[in-house]
Amino acid sequence: MDTLYFLLRLSLFSAIPLMVVALGGMFSEKSGVVNIALEGLMLIGAFTGIYALNLMQKAGMSGQMLYIYAMLVGGVMGLIFSLLHAYASVNMKANQVISGTALNLFTPALAIFLARMWTGTQQVNFNDMFFIQKVGFLANIPVIGDLFFQKAYISTYVGILILIISYYVLYKTKFGLRLRSCGEHPQAADAAGISVYKIRYAGVMISGFLAGLGGVILIVPTTTNFNATVSGFGFLALAVLIFGQWKPKRIMLAALFFGLMRVISNSYSLIDVLAKLKLPGEFYSIIPYVATLVVLAFVSKKSAAPLAAGTPYDQGKR
Amino acid sequence: MEYVIEMLNITKEFPGIKACDNVTLQLKSGEVHALLGENGAGKSTLMSVLFGLYHAEEGQIKVHGNVENIKSPLDANRLHIGMVHQHFKLVHNFTVAENIVLGMEDTKYGFLSMDGAIERINELSEKYKLKIDPNAKIEDISVGMQQRVEILKMLYRDAEILIFDEPTAVLTPQEIDELMKILRDLIKEDKSIILITHKLDEIKAVADRCTVLRKGKYIGTVDVKETSKEKMAEMMVGRKVSFEVDKKPATPGSTILKVDKLTKKSDTDKNVFTDVSFEIKAGEIFCLAGIEGNGQTQIIEAITGLANFSSGKVEFNGNDISGFSIRKRTLSGIGHIPEDRHKHGLVLNYTMKENMVLQTYFTDEFQRYGFLKFDAINKKADDLIQRFDVRSGQGRESIARGMSGGNQQKVIVAREMDRLPDLLIAVQPTRGLDVGAIEYIHDQLIKHRDSGKSVLLVSLELDEVLNVSDRIAVVHGGEIMAIVNTDETTKEQLGLYMAGSH
Amino acid sequence: MEKRKSIFRNLHSNEKLLSIMPSIFAIITGLLFGFIIMLITNPSGAGSGLARILFGAFDEGSKSLGQVLYFATPIILTGLSVGFAFKTGLFNIGATGQFTVGAIAAIYVGVNWGFLPGKFHWLIAILVATIIGGIWGIIPGLLKAYRNVHEVVATIMMNYIAVYLVKWFILSNQSIYNQEKNETASVLSTAKNPSLFMKEIFKGSQVDGGFIVAVVVAIIIYIVLNKTTFGFELKAVGHNRHSAKYAGINEKRSIILSMAIAGATAGLAGAVTFLSVSLKHMEPLAVLLPQGFDGITVALIALSNPIGVIFAGIFIGYIKQGGFTMQLSGFVPEIIGIITSAIIYFSALSLIFQSFIKKILGKNGGNK
Repeated sequence: MDTLYFLLRLSLFSAIPLMVVALGGMFSEKSGVVNIALEGLMLIGAFTGIYALNLMQKAGMSGQMLYIYAMLVGGVMGLIFSLLHAYASVNMKANQVISGTALNLFTPALAIFLARMWTGTQQVNFNDMFFIQKVGFLANIPVIGDLFFQKAYISTYVGILILIISYYVLYKTKFGLRLRSCGEHPQAADAAGISVYKIRYAGVMISGFLAGLGGVILIVPTTTNFNATVSGFGFLALAVLIFGQWKPKRIMLAALFFGLMRVISNSYSLIDVLAKLKLPGEFYSIIPYVATLVVLAFVSKKSAAPLAAGTPYDQGKR
Repeated sequence: MEYVIEMLNITKEFPGIKACDNVTLQLKSGEVHALLGENGAGKSTLMSVLFGLYHAEEGQIKVHGNVENIKSPLDANRLHIGMVHQHFKLVHNFTVAENIVLGMEDTKYGFLSMDGAIERINELSEKYKLKIDPNAKIEDISVGMQQRVEILKMLYRDAEILIFDEPTAVLTPQEIDELMKILRDLIKEDKSIILITHKLDEIKAVADRCTVLRKGKYIGTVDVKETSKEKMAEMMVGRKVSFEVDKKPATPGSTILKVDKLTKKSDTDKNVFTDVSFEIKAGEIFCLAGIEGNGQTQIIEAITGLANFSSGKVEFNGNDISGFSIRKRTLSGIGHIPEDRHKHGLVLNYTMKENMVLQTYFTDEFQRYGFLKFDAINKKADDLIQRFDVRSGQGRESIARGMSGGNQQKVIVAREMDRLPDLLIAVQPTRGLDVGAIEYIHDQLIKHRDSGKSVLLVSLELDEVLNVSDRIAVVHGGEIMAIVNTDETTKEQLGLYMAGSH
Repeated sequence: MEKRKSIFRNLHSNEKLLSIMPSIFAIITGLLFGFIIMLITNPSGAGSGLARILFGAFDEGSKSLGQVLYFATPIILTGLSVGFAFKTGLFNIGATGQFTVGAIAAIYVGVNWGFLPGKFHWLIAILVATIIGGIWGIIPGLLKAYRNVHEVVATIMMNYIAVYLVKWFILSNQSIYNQEKNETASVLSTAKNPSLFMKEIFKGSQVDGGFIVAVVVAIIIYIVLNKTTFGFELKAVGHNRHSAKYAGINEKRSIILSMAIAGATAGLAGAVTFLSVSLKHMEPLAVLLPQGFDGITVALIALSNPIGVIFAGIFIGYIKQGGFTMQLSGFVPEIIGIITSAIIYFSALSLIFQSFIKKILGKNGGNK
C-alpha cells in the first residue's frame, strides 16, 4: 500500500506541472493561437525561477514563500518570452509552428548560454527546503490525506487552484466567452466589437505564464539541480492538451495518466505485476505519445480543437 | 423627409483597386433602401465602411445629421447601426443566447449572468415574431433560424438602422417570404433598412428606393415603384441587358449519362439524397435546379467521383462508372467546371499554364518517361489563351491567384472544354461573375451542346435555369421533385417544386 | 532619392534577388540579435566574437573549410527533408526522430553486417537507414491522409517515440552498445562513408563523401520537384489538396509518399552522419538530436529550394564552425544556437518583410 501511495505521490509531481502547462496551452489555443512553444517557455521559466531560487537562498532567505516567489519569477519570464510568439502570431501573422519552433530552440540555447556565462557550468543548484512531511490534521484523512497532504509540495495545491480557476475563467466569465469566440470564429468576435488581437495576446500570455510556472514546479520536487532542460515535458503537455481534448477536466485526467506512465517508466520494478512483465522502462515512456496518436486518429475528424486555431486573423480581410 | 444615414462621397481603396469611388447613399427614416450592383460593384465594401469594419479614405458619414467617425463595429453599435452579414458571424458551438450577448455580456460578481439576457431575447423574439430557443446551439439549428439569431443580435443592441447583406441567398422560397414579412414588421417598429442584393424581384417586392453601384461608382438612386426592372438592370450593368439567350431548339441524341436510383445515406436519419434518377442525352443541356443545400453538390460529387454514395448506379456512355476513380472518369469523357473554383477548380499558387494542364499533364502529349514537356505545355497554354480570350498580366506565366474571377473561370472553362468531353458538368459556372462573363459562359455551354455533346448544369438562379437549359430537374431535400421541359414550365411552377411540393 | 529608386527598380527587374531578400533579412537580423546578446553579456569581447562567427571558419584554411562541409552535410539532408515536405504542403518537425532512427539503423548494420562484401556494406547500411527513416515518415503521412491528423503533432509524438525506442534498442543490443563509454560501438570500416576525394581535398578535416551524397540528393529532389509529373502532383497536393483530388491526383497517396520521402531523406542524413569516416557514436540518452531542427532553419533560409538548401546548409555549418572558436573570445558556442533560432524566428516574420518590399516597389513602379 505504501508503495502505491509513494508512486501516486510521485506521479503527482509530474502530473501537476503537466496539467498546469497544458492548461496554459489550452488558453492559447482556445484564443486561436497554436502554441508548440510550451517546451521552450517551460524551460525559460524553470531556468529563471530556479536561478532566482539559487540567488535568494545564497542571500540566506528561506521558507515556503521562496517557492512561491520562484514560481512567480518563472511565470513572469514565461509570459515575457511568450510575447515573442504572440507578436509573430498575432501582429505579423506568421506561421505559428515556425515561431513556436524558434522559441523552442532559442530558450535552451539562451539558458545554457546564460548559465555558462554566469555560473561557469550548465547547472543551477538549489536546496530543496519545500518538502512538507504532513499538513496538520489533513494528513490523517484516509486516502486523500495519504495522497495530497503527506510528503507533498505546495505546488500541488497551486496546480489544483489553477485548474479550478481555469475552469471558471473559461466557461463562466465574460473573458472566457470572448476567448473561446476568438478561437472558433474570430470574424464573429470582431463583428461583436471584440478585439481579436488583444484577446489572442491575452491567451498567449496566460499560456506563457502557466508554462513558465509549470517549469519551476516540475524541477523543484524532482531534483535539486537544474540542468537547463525540461526533458520534453512541454511537448508531453501538448499531448496532454490534445489527449484532454482542450477541456480542463479531461486535461486533468490526461495529466494524471501521463504522470503515472512517467513514474512507472522509472520505477516499474517496484510494482510486482509490472516487474513480472519485464517490459523495459522506455515502453512506459512511449505510452503517452502513442496514446495521443491513437486518440488523434480516432477523434480528429470531429476533433474538439478550436476551429480557428493556427489561422492568423487579418483585420484587413474581414 | 429626414435622412437617418448619409454616406457622402465615400472612397475606399484596396491595393490596386478602388472598391468604392465617390459613392453616396442616403437612407430615409422608415424605408427599405435597396443597394443594387453586380458582384464586385462595391456594395459590401460600402456597408463595411458604414459598419466600421473598413475605414474610408475620403468622404463623410452622417447619422441623424451629425458627422460621425465610425472606427469599429463598437461605434456602429453605439450609433444603433446593425448588420446581418452574408456569411453569418455566429460561433457554431455557442448557444443562441451566448452568440447574441457576445461583446456586451452582463456579469455578476465577475461571472457571466445569462438570465437577464435570455429574458430580453424572449421578449424581443415575441415582439418581432422571431421564434427561437435561446438555449439551442447554433450548429443544431437551420440556416433560416441562424439568420433570425443575427437579426435578434441587432435588435438586442437596440439597432435602429439594419443592414442586410444578400440575405436571401441561402433561404428557401418560404423562408424568403417570411424574411420579407419580417422586414415589413421591422419597418413598422420604426426601423430603417438597407438591403444589399443583386436580385431585382426582391427589390420590387420590398424596397422603397434603390441605389445602384457599378464597378465601385455611384450610378444613381431611383424610386422602386416608378422604375422598371429592365431600367434597374441597365443601370446595374451599364448597357441594355437581354436576359434571353439566343439558342436553337435542342436535338437530343443517344443517352450519355444515366443516373439510376442514386442514394447517399448520412449519419443522421435523413439521407443526403434519395433515389435520384435521370438521363442526359447528347445535344442537350440538362439542369439540376433547386435552393442551395438541397443535395445538388453531393449528387455532382457522386457523379464526378469526388465523394462516394450508398446505393444506385451511374452509367456513362453505357458503362457503369460507379467504381471508377476520378481520373478514370475524366479520361472517359467527363469535364467538370466545379462549384468552387478556388477550392477545387484551380491550384491558385500554380501558374496559368500549369492550371491549364491540370487534367492532362500525365498524358503522352505533356510528359515523357515521367518528365514534363514544357514546350508542349507552353504551346497548349498559348493556344487556349488565344481561343478562350483569357486575359492576364503575364500571360501563361501569371499566377492564378492574381487573376480576376472572370479570367480564372475562363481558364477552367478552357481546360475542361478543350478536351471535348461527352459530358460537361458545370456547377454554378457563373457565380460571382459580372454580366459580360456570364454571357460568355452561357454561350460556351450552348456551343458545347450544339456540337452534339451534353451539358449537366447546376444552378441556383432561376433566370439562368430557364434561359440556358433544355430540360430541368428540380431537387428538394435530396430528392428529385420533377423533371420538366424548359419551354413547358414557368418560374412559378419551378418555385413550387423547389419548395418541395409536387 | 533618385539613386534609391533605381536600386529598387533593379531589384524589381530581378525577381530572383527579390525572392531571397527575406532570407537575407532573417540572417542579418539573426546575427545582429546574437551580437546584441554578446554585447549585453560581455561587451568587451563582443566585437571579436562576432568576427569569429563570421570568419572563424577560415582559421585553419582548407581544414576549417572541410569542417564547415562536415557540419553542413547532415543539415543539408535534414534541410532537404523539411524543405521537400514544405514544398508539398507538410510541416515535418519529425526530421530529428527520422534522423535518429536512420542513424541507429545504420549503426546496427554498420556494426553487425560485416558479412556483406566490401562496398555493399556501406550501401546496405545507407539503404536500411533510408527505409527506416521512410517508415518513420510514413506513419504521420498515413495518419494525415486517412485520419486527418495534423502532421506537426504527429511528427512531434513520433520524435519522442523514436528517442525512447532508440535508447531501448541501444541498451538491449549488446552488439552495438559499448558499456564502458556508454555509447554505441564503432561501425566497421567497410561501412564508413567513402571519401570521394573529399578527404584529399580538405586534408585533416572530418569531411567525407557524405557531403557529395547530400549534394546529389539535393539535385535529385530539385529535378523531381520541378521537372517531373510526380513533382507536379506532389506540389499540387501541397498547394491545394482539394483541387488536386478534383484533378484526379490520388492526394492520399501523395501525402503518404511525400512524408515517406521526407522521412527517408532525414534517415539518410542520420546514416551519413553516423557512418562518418571520423567515427561518431550515439549515447543512449533519449534526447532529440539537433540536426533535425537545424534542418528547419536551413529549409526556411533556402525557402525550401533544394539547391538553396545546399548553400543554406553550408552557411549554417560555417557559422557553427566559427562558433567553436568562440571560447577564445570568452563566449560559449551556444551563442550559435541563439543565432540560428533567431534566424528561424525572423524568417517566420520575413513574409511580412517581403510584402513590405513589394509595396515599396509597387508604389515606385506606379509613380514612374
